[in-house]
Amino acid sequence: MIDDSALPVIWFFIITGELALYALLDGANLGIGLLSMLPQPEDRRELMLHTLGPIWNANETWLLVAAGSLFGAFPPVYSIMLNALYVPGMAIVIGLILRAVSFEFYDYGQGKRLWGDAFGAGSLLTVLGQGALFGGLLSGIRVEDRQFAGGPFDWITPVTLLVMVGVFFSYVIVGYANLLRKTGYEIAGETFSRILGAGVIAALALAGASFLLPREDYTFLVRWTTPPTSTILQVTVVFIVAAFALLIWAVATRRHVGRIYPLCLAIFGMAFLSVLVGVYPLMIPPSLSLFDAASPSNTLRFMLYGIGPLLPIVLTYNWYLAHVFRAESKVDARMRARGY
Amino acid sequence: MMSIGIGFYLFVMEALWLATGRDTFYHQLRFWLRIFILTFAVGVASGIPMAFQFGTNWARFATSTGSFFGNILGLETTVAFTLEASFLGILIFGWRRVSRGVHLLATGLVVFGASLSAFWIISANSWMQIPHGVHFDEAGRVIVDDYAAAIFNPDTGITYAHVLVSAIEATLFLIAGISAWAILHHRTEQRTKAFFLQSLKYVVAMAVVVTNLQFALGDLSGQVVAKHQPEKLAVMELHWDTNTEGTGVPLFLAAWPSFTEPRNIFEFGIPNLGSLIATHERHGKVPGLTSFPEHERPTTPETALAFVAFRVMAILAVVMFFQMVAGCYYWARGRLTPERIAAYPRFLKVWVWTIPIGFIAAEGGWIVREVGRQPWVVYRVMRTADAVSPNLNATVVALILLAVVVLYAALFWVFVHFVRRTISEGPSFALPHATQAETVPS
Repeated sequence: MIDDSALPVIWFFIITGELALYALLDGANLGIGLLSMLPQPEDRRELMLHTLGPIWNANETWLLVAAGSLFGAFPPVYSIMLNALYVPGMAIVIGLILRAVSFEFYDYGQGKRLWGDAFGAGSLLTVLGQGALFGGLLSGIRVEDRQFAGGPFDWITPVTLLVMVGVFFSYVIVGYANLLRKTGYEIAGETFSRILGAGVIAALALAGASFLLPREDYTFLVRWTTPPTSTILQVTVVFIVAAFALLIWAVATRRHVGRIYPLCLAIFGMAFLSVLVGVYPLMIPPSLSLFDAASPSNTLRFMLYGIGPLLPIVLTYNWYLAHVFRAESKVDARMRARGY
Repeated sequence: MMSIGIGFYLFVMEALWLATGRDTFYHQLRFWLRIFILTFAVGVASGIPMAFQFGTNWARFATSTGSFFGNILGLETTVAFTLEASFLGILIFGWRRVSRGVHLLATGLVVFGASLSAFWIISANSWMQIPHGVHFDEAGRVIVDDYAAAIFNPDTGITYAHVLVSAIEATLFLIAGISAWAILHHRTEQRTKAFFLQSLKYVVAMAVVVTNLQFALGDLSGQVVAKHQPEKLAVMELHWDTNTEGTGVPLFLAAWPSFTEPRNIFEFGIPNLGSLIATHERHGKVPGLTSFPEHERPTTPETALAFVAFRVMAILAVVMFFQMVAGCYYWARGRLTPERIAAYPRFLKVWVWTIPIGFIAAEGGWIVREVGRQPWVVYRVMRTADAVSPNLNATVVALILLAVVVLYAALFWVFVHFVRRTISEGPSFALPHATQAETVPS
């Protein structure tokens, strides 16, 4: 039997896990969506979009699963967050709709250019919305009496803008890394310098945001300056810097190109971890913790026994799908034939 | 909704194909799958806002009821939506990659996932109609006392059946309408005409069961409303004063309320039929609107809307029934053959014009359900006015709503355009595994 007090913590980590899984699975697709907006011949863009593969919809469901779990396990967090971050939230919704529909319609022939553009615009809206949501959440939300008590544009802060820039360029890098991995796609001389540029901008923006945050919110300052959290954070920073240096080295020398993608994921994972260490157990900085926000124990227990056993099953059939579609597709073969 | 209906049709066709080995079922399957992909793209797009909207627009409702309502929607996404979205990949792209049996299983899982998804959504909504199994703590949070009672409240089962069958019914009429249009469009190609006549016949055969079943389910659904939400019943019937002993309530075919006094300015109906339907007794007592406090029942304009919506639903259900009868008649007289059908363009045109009626009927039913429950968002527990998000800027909300509406309108237009083109192209009669080229986007 699991203790009542442990339930909110378990659910906190299930939800962060679902979010991380979403970012992991969909990140590359979003990045490719951004890259598809670069001016380029239509057939090249077509190859790009086809690397997304047949199961990208299934990847996107993890975001909805996380939203659903959050609604059930931490109702105030779900409602305050979306209430305060209404504009970014709706940007994500509109972006996802545009993206899903234009991707399906892209293959229906006529008007490829239009649907390709719509796909890019949808990806851009989703990415900017995610950056704004994340940045707005970190910047802090005014909560009174378990309800949002601020204005509709409170989320626009220097930190949010920096996070948006950082998230945008991080997705660009992941997109490139995935293209390199899947297709060996490379526009001579261009790709690598772009990855370098995007990497530097993303690093500067996110470092700037981490630097500004502790000044705006006391919690972060405490976490960054007192052990044991400061030690953990410093270690993750060292790892991130090391991984980033490896990434830059791989890009600059163009060796071990295959490692770029896993390195991106490693940096992403570490950064996510450091944010968690920085805010835990707060779910909505600066005041609402996961313990204040959790649903009653019997709800959490019901969810855990109802949903918990299913998550491994869902993961298993997601793995099965990836396995079914793993074999080289015609698209890959065609790309190779064209010399990409 | 459409993905449940067409998915159901696809599953039946695929099962028949595997059982009989006849190519005609395979052709049906492949053609309607193309339409299904289009509906799914639009369907998912309309599903995404649901997962967020409760937080963005209904924050206070979400905070207070999340421990049950959010819990159920969480189950919906994890248990059902993932199933549907995942196996869709195999349904669409997996033809060469998995065996036929596994493919049929995938199709079945997509339909099962969609139906399960509908179950959880209906269960959550039914709980808003009849909030059993919970109490509210001092902070205004829902505490669930009995999950079984809350999930399977008296409304869940019957409404689920009613909605599921309505999805299948509406989609069957869509398939029939598209087929009729295609028969009119492809005048000269006998094989294509035969194909769509086949679709039309399958639909008519299934409609025999579905239209009748839906009448029974509608009646049962009315019984639940009469028992648990008497004011909604009075709203549906524009029934103001409780009938006295020994008199029955009429069923109004048409009526219009006065917006200043609690009475109708015009009414026309069949005596006693209202009592008979609601209570299954000729003089059964049906409480009128005036027996409920004014601030605990829908306003007069809301009442008028629900009254009209209910009639639209009922009338369209009857129209669909008679169309099914007409279809059977034409079939029995041997008119549904490629050679003879050309003589009956009007018969086909009626089917084309009735494409949207199943969906309009479903919308009508949903309006009755939701508007009839006003001013409550959770029946007799939480008012709609207390459920909305605080501190929302009306201009911002209106602008974003406008953007979403424009986006949907555009998507719908494109959807119709693509469906029309798919029909003009007609089905492909290539045999299984000769059609590999279309499984990989080229």
